[in-house]
Amino acid sequence: MKVIKSVLKEELANSLAMKKSYERELAKLPKGSLVKKKIKGHEYYYLQVREKGGPKFIYKGKLSDEEVKKYDEDKKYRAQYRKLLSETKKQIKFLRTALRGKESV
Amino acid sequence: MAKSQYELCIEVLRRLEKAGVLKDVVIVGSWCTLFYKDFFGDASYLAPLKTRDVDLLIPRPSSTKTKVDVAELLRDLGFVVGFTGPEGYIRLEHPELIVEFLVPERGRASYKPYPLPKLGLNAQALRFLDFLAQSTITMKVEGISVMLPHPANFALHKLVVLSRRPGPEKQAKDKEAAMRVLEALIDKGKVDSIREAFGAMPRRWQVKIRKQLADPLDKKVMDIISHST
Repeated sequence: MKVIKSVLKEELANSLAMKKSYERELAKLPKGSLVKKKIKGHEYYYLQVREKGGPKFIYKGKLSDEEVKKYDEDKKYRAQYRKLLSETKKQIKFLRTALRGKESV
Repeated sequence: MAKSQYELCIEVLRRLEKAGVLKDVVIVGSWCTLFYKDFFGDASYLAPLKTRDVDLLIPRPSSTKTKVDVAELLRDLGFVVGFTGPEGYIRLEHPELIVEFLVPERGRASYKPYPLPKLGLNAQALRFLDFLAQSTITMKVEGISVMLPHPANFALHKLVVLSRRPGPEKQAKDKEAAMRVLEALIDKGKVDSIREAFGAMPRRWQVKIRKQLADPLDKKVMDIISHST
């Protein structure tokens, strides 16, 4: 039992470190979604973010295809990291509960 | 959970193989014990308890030619760069898997991470790892060629480093893994490979191993190594 507990402890430490890593990576990614608007025949981009008062549009102007692609990619990574962060938090909860359990069951 | 973890590990190995990195890598640590299953075939071998860490040993880091940003290679799988210890060893983290790189420590002991600029990472240098790369086997895992330490080298290495492992629990886990592999080798009639690997070790290491085999349950293995050259 002690061996299993030590493995669980190690995995808990790993998950806690992982949580920090995902939070750090998420903080690096821009928030919001890129929105294209056509004004007088010209295409302009806005970054739509949610703030206290509701949605807010931040003007980004004309963007190159590469910049648009980068925003899309970041959005994809943001969603993926959020999902994996949530998974990591569940692991932490599970491991903490398991480590609190009584041995003589 | 276990299936997706295995699949993720295979995908990591597949990408490393495609990028030309895997040919310079020996899989060590608890994951290689899982890959020994095919080596032992129908012997009553049960893979020991393994953790999420996939330890990848680069035996000759200075001769690595392939230039690949490994973190970028695995990014879309959800891996992020993590740092451990005050030294800042880099590892690639995913809730299911943690990929770490190791190199053999040569010369004076140092806790500094060993830079792997061609892979965009660093590695932890550890003692005695040369022994794992000294005798290797190549297995096909899901169509991927992976290099593993010969099971005899793997098990004896575990016994050598046992006293360096922090805490009695880790020591017990490592000893159990070593003994399981050694017993599977005996079952498979590969006693000579144990003797050969033991005989190739420096005398000091042999003394360490003998000390670890003091339990009466270890007698079978002790008898085998006692007859090594």
